[in-house]
Amino acid sequence: MKGIKLTSTILLSKIIIKGLRMIKRGGTSLPGKIANKLCPGILKDIASNFYIIMVTGTNGKTTTSRIIEQILKETGTSYIANRSGANLLSGITTTFLQSVNLHGRSSVSTALIEIDEAAFKAVTVFLEPDILVVTNFFRDQLDRYGELYSTLKDVAAGISKTRKTRLILNADDSLCVSLARDSQKSVIYYGFAPEAYLDAKASENADASYCLYCQTKYTYTNKVYGHLGGFACPGCGYRKPDCHVVCTQVEAITGSHSVIRFTVDDGLLPSCDGRNAYTAKINLPGLYNIYNSLAAISCGVSLGISMDKILYALASFENGFGRMETIKARDRELKVILVKNPAGFNQVLDYLVTDEQTMRLAFAINDNLADGTDVSWLWDVNFEKLSAAAERIDGLFVSGIRAEDMALRLKYAGLDTKKIELIKDYGALIEKGLSSMKEGETFYLLPTYTALLDMRKFLKKKFNLKEFWQ
Amino acid sequence: MYELTLCHLYPDLLNLYGDRGNIIALRRRAQWRGIRMHVVPVTLGDAFQAQNYNIVFLGGGQSYEQEIIQKDLISQKGNEIKEAIEAGRVFICICGGYQLMGKFYRTAEGRDVQFLDALNLWTVEGEDRMIGNLLFECDFLKDGGGDHRIIGFENHAGRTYLGKGITPLGKVIAGFGNNGEDGFEGARYKNVFCSYSHGSLLPKNPRLTDYLLLTALQEKYKDIETLSPLDDCLENKAHDTMIKRVSG
Ligand SMILES: [Zn+2]
Repeated sequence: MKGIKLTSTILLSKIIIKGLRMIKRGGTSLPGKIANKLCPGILKDIASNFYIIMVTGTNGKTTTSRIIEQILKETGTSYIANRSGANLLSGITTTFLQSVNLHGRSSVSTALIEIDEAAFKAVTVFLEPDILVVTNFFRDQLDRYGELYSTLKDVAAGISKTRKTRLILNADDSLCVSLARDSQKSVIYYGFAPEAYLDAKASENADASYCLYCQTKYTYTNKVYGHLGGFACPGCGYRKPDCHVVCTQVEAITGSHSVIRFTVDDGLLPSCDGRNAYTAKINLPGLYNIYNSLAAISCGVSLGISMDKILYALASFENGFGRMETIKARDRELKVILVKNPAGFNQVLDYLVTDEQTMRLAFAINDNLADGTDVSWLWDVNFEKLSAAAERIDGLFVSGIRAEDMALRLKYAGLDTKKIELIKDYGALIEKGLSSMKEGETFYLLPTYTALLDMRKFLKKKFNLKEFWQ
Repeated sequence: MYELTLCHLYPDLLNLYGDRGNIIALRRRAQWRGIRMHVVPVTLGDAFQAQNYNIVFLGGGQSYEQEIIQKDLISQKGNEIKEAIEAGRVFICICGGYQLMGKFYRTAEGRDVQFLDALNLWTVEGEDRMIGNLLFECDFLKDGGGDHRIIGFENHAGRTYLGKGITPLGKVIAGFGNNGEDGFEGARYKNVFCSYSHGSLLPKNPRLTDYLLLTALQEKYKDIETLSPLDDCLENKAHDTMIKRVSG
């Protein structure tokens, strides 16, 4: 009976997927949603033969997944992977449905699954990862996710249900590390060596400044950004664990890439060639992408992939796959960077002020459900930083449903209100932003999630883009 | 030159929903008028001496973080805070900070957690969180005939009830407010202003911000009657746009 139900559900789902494609709707969650209704627990049946790599965390899960994907490509592994728009139960189910035959079997053996941290607990009922990468925990849209600590608790509860899962955790994040503290699981830690990076002006407004176990304020040997760094609790001794994959030096960090030195614990390397220190060029800008790369390196090493292939993947990684898209328009450049929470937004601003060229900035802030309906987080972003680069900013645009709030935020950050222009129509915004731009100048578009989706439609048409994001 | 000192209580713990925005708004609006404002962070273990401050700000935290400060707040700073309130000092308490000023918080399991007991009000944890845009009107902002409506965003599970001697900050036009039942939002006692509204509250509601600034100034300097007007074009635009959306 069960077999018939499974087969008919898969068949119906495949028809829906085809139908959606025919009407050019990239509906990624609907088929999975229907399948889960018709045949509860279907995910367990169709995913049971896969080797599953899962990536979760507040920031960086998409980029980390894409880097891991690049590594898998280098090795010629056949795999399936979901996209960030499909990282809840239904979307993940659809991803597997697309791959299996009517008996629920697939010729592909590896699945790379990015999963929303709030959905993790529910999905682990059906899907047990072989490898789980957790990037970090930051405050995200609280109205949707509830409090940071309850998200953490839920991820921990999901992990406790798994049996074989190997964890890959950010050792610089006290919240992340807590996931392994009380479990017997095998763990690979990655992080920065104290001397590799030190943020002299680490923010006071950090999440998690107090010990999770005894509520004493942490001391830090080094802070990288936010609450990430070499934490130690003077009260109970809870501290950053020793890392297996360590960034020992940041050699260069530019507007387009970084170069790091890192070491890997001997025990993790498949063949001992006497070498455990490497230099990597990461073809992505920003400090946060060094963390994402360390996570992907750890995953690659854990899969037994040779370091040559991993290094090649990092160096050849295409920006377009990540969360930054560069579009060349004659001699001018347009860059689109998704913004979604204070920690990520601050990193983007840090990146902008390191750029030495003249720039134009457009912020498009929406407050739909997927963006977070509460925009108060804009006040936790340090737009004050931009005043350091004020003379290089020759245009400031605000757009999106909450454009007025954004304009106000910029005013109170001390930016010149005469420079701020409010344009709600994305077409007009992009035209205006690109008009009479100086040579070598960059126009940055910083949208929240749903603003990005709307903007993309316009950009796709204007620049004739084929595969843009997703 | 006029000067004000603002005490930001537990900024490393109570900083949940853009609370910084409220401090930024107070500071900027003072600065634009040539009034110097010092902001002093005071956290766990720090001494709190009320006479040093003209405005005290207490924001919201996650329950884990509120637990951490509870003891310090009650036993180390409690008496000073109560005396300062009676003396007419300006306090701004948002969300969790608002609840902490009350008598107790009754959890869903029926356990009473003792709070500061500086104000005659209390909070009972409800099942569903009350989340969304919040629009309310304040009678004390009616003078001068300007807009006395306040727009913000609320997100709380606690239902707060006001006892004798405490007046609500305003009347709810849209949203839940204190408890979703009686149609009131926030609390006021002497110069203590409490609200569930963040978003942040003060930048988009400049009339309230100026009212708080003026109250603090008048408490310190006897010769000040009004504040010089500012160009509030962007503030009003943000305020009016959201009100229009919320009131449909
Ligand atoms: Zn501790």
